[in-house]
Amino acid sequence: MEFAELSHQSEIRDSLDKILVEQCTPEKLKEFDVTFKHDEPLLSLLASNGYLGLGVNEEHGGSGENLYDLGILFERLGFHAAPLSLVGCLVDVAQTIQKFSENKAHLDLIGAIVGGEIHTSAILEPLNQEPESPMTRAEINGDQLIISGTKYLSEIASKAKSILISVNSDEGVLLVLVDSNAIEISELSTTANSPSFKVELDAVSVDRSAIIHSSGKGLEALRYLLQINMVMRSYLALGVTEKMTALIASYTSEREQFGRVIGSFQAVSHRAADCFIDLECLRLVNQQAAVNLNTNLDCENDALVSKIWAGNACHRISYSAQHLHGGMGVDKDYVLWRYCLLAKECELINGSASQNIDRLGLNITANQ
Amino acid sequence: MRIQDEILIGEMLIQLNPKQAKLKAELQEYFEGVITLELKAELNNPNHFEGGGPEFKKAMRTMGADGWIGLSWKKELGGKELSPMEQYIFVETVMRTGFPFPFLTTESVGPMIAEHGSDWAKEEIATKILRGELIFGIGYSEPNSGTDLASLQTKAIKEADGYLINGQKMWTSLANFSDYIWLAARTDFEAKNHKGISMFIVPTDDPGFSMTAINTLGDVRTNATFYDNIRVPDSNLVGQINQGWSLITSQLNLERLALVNHGPVEELYRNVLKLAETTKINNDQSLADLSWVKHNFAQVYAGVEALKLICWKQTSIMESGQLNMAEASVAKVYGSEFFIEAYRLLMEIMGELSLLKNDSELSVLNAKLERMYRTASILTFGGGTNEVQRDIIAMAGLLMPRTR
Repeated sequence: MEFAELSHQSEIRDSLDKILVEQCTPEKLKEFDVTFKHDEPLLSLLASNGYLGLGVNEEHGGSGENLYDLGILFERLGFHAAPLSLVGCLVDVAQTIQKFSENKAHLDLIGAIVGGEIHTSAILEPLNQEPESPMTRAEINGDQLIISGTKYLSEIASKAKSILISVNSDEGVLLVLVDSNAIEISELSTTANSPSFKVELDAVSVDRSAIIHSSGKGLEALRYLLQINMVMRSYLALGVTEKMTALIASYTSEREQFGRVIGSFQAVSHRAADCFIDLECLRLVNQQAAVNLNTNLDCENDALVSKIWAGNACHRISYSAQHLHGGMGVDKDYVLWRYCLLAKECELINGSASQNIDRLGLNITANQ
Repeated sequence: MRIQDEILIGEMLIQLNPKQAKLKAELQEYFEGVITLELKAELNNPNHFEGGGPEFKKAMRTMGADGWIGLSWKKELGGKELSPMEQYIFVETVMRTGFPFPFLTTESVGPMIAEHGSDWAKEEIATKILRGELIFGIGYSEPNSGTDLASLQTKAIKEADGYLINGQKMWTSLANFSDYIWLAARTDFEAKNHKGISMFIVPTDDPGFSMTAINTLGDVRTNATFYDNIRVPDSNLVGQINQGWSLITSQLNLERLALVNHGPVEELYRNVLKLAETTKINNDQSLADLSWVKHNFAQVYAGVEALKLICWKQTSIMESGQLNMAEASVAKVYGSEFFIEAYRLLMEIMGELSLLKNDSELSVLNAKLERMYRTASILTFGGGTNEVQRDIIAMAGLLMPRTR
């Protein structure tokens, strides 16, 4: 049993914080509230300092395959509300290719991503409750796949060179990397102003070589993708809720009413303590999922538990923070509101708490 | 940035290591042998829920002889000096069996006496505790001193060759079959509350000792105990005079962690799950096929996972000799409140059957679930009430101002 971080992991956290404190100033975040929320210079800075290689094997220019390290990156991006949406790129594309591809052209993409090139995924579909069973279809015609369907909530698709798409076919589930020029995308406006796109495929023809995994491994690869996506989104949620809890502590320790700081009222401090408890639980279930996924490609229950806690913690801590801040919580000149919107995004994307409870319940009971 | 650290030692591991897993397996096998059918039958008798019966005494002596008492004691005091993680595994395994192992006597009072007791106490009391021959009741709370324990008023007045003790204690569990009371008494009436308290070994066969039973919601008997002009020799004082508070608080973290050990609730979850999977509600379906039942199980599962990780992490922090006050309080609050939630969710699954107490066919797990929910409520205020724990979390974890 060992929970402690190695020294290099604490160093990643500290040095990332140094960069992000400088880069994610309130003034700069304000600019991104009303423009396309993708901070190109920050991405380059993270790339040139090696942070996009966290969780990536040394042979692709990374710092070693360790999902906990990658979790630190997302936690800190969440904590600083960084104007970057990188789960699709660093997790869905890079990590899935790293684990499942034997094709050099695809593997070379990992190095490009580590260097700052954008690729993304389009996995989720409107109203599809079972993302491992895509409604998007690929008809197989010799060496060609003809893909039709609609995906949404694809991150920064307008900047991506290629898009990883999950499809169903006569050969089962496939993950296909499609050149973004071949696909029609349209920008969606979402609650946290994240750069998000609808991806529509109308008989798009791609070569078989675009499949990133070996024959028959598509479902396994997609399941892995969905699980690490859940865990890394839960790390984003951890950073977001950690920041909100810190804001609660500092604000209620300064704000005075009735001649004393409101944090000295037990009703206030106990609500803050409950946020701390949720945060600790989320931190631990995330850690378990990340560490177990390092050595086992299928840890669905661990991933579900972390996303369930992420959903609940995001909801509870967000509204506690709003409440305890009073009017300050909704004032756009203060920072909290931005985190509350991010929390809702973390809560709902790739499975809400209730949906994942349903899923977990199916997994842990014997199916007859 | 390139990471150089290739050392595998110290790498994160969020599960039992092979040595710990082996210990757990050994203990499981051992308890299967010690906990006989006769003992199980005795423990189902409400008078012996908490131990004290002949089979219980026999089992304690067996465990003493086999070296399974004194886990936390230093080796030079005759103990096993197990690491915190090994102790946690022991507590988990024994609690899963339902055997009411007297941890407070063996792992809290025992090592304190062995370390700080007089020569008599070390030879006569500590060794017998190690052999499984003695049980202590804990005399801390009083009618007017609960959460504010340091305000206790039971007094021990110094006499020529000993102390004269007078007072009353509340919630003295196990007193009805214990040999001694581990008693906190005031010895300095001028000093600040917690600086005037000393610890004594008080024999329950003294004519000045008496008790009345307090019957509780969970059918666990506890007692009000009375101390009427009891004289004890100097050798019954443990530790320095007026230094008792540090003894009371020294093992609090391990005790709190033992209170919220994830073993029993995980065991209950597994057993109710097995039951629900085999309970037919019609020709095609079992109880566990219903979607709301699956949801309840999933809620419990997600909650147990968090509890397990909180406890493991706390224990592994202790392994490295550190203490984290906020996280110890997180464990206490989360665990005690989760138990209540978990029992509710599991009882909902079995529905009205969960109410049955005596029908061995229909009642749930021989009415174990029914009884466990009735005993759960004491944990949110016992062992340091959750309000105080939340105060600690806000202060130590969030650096917020002291609540008044």
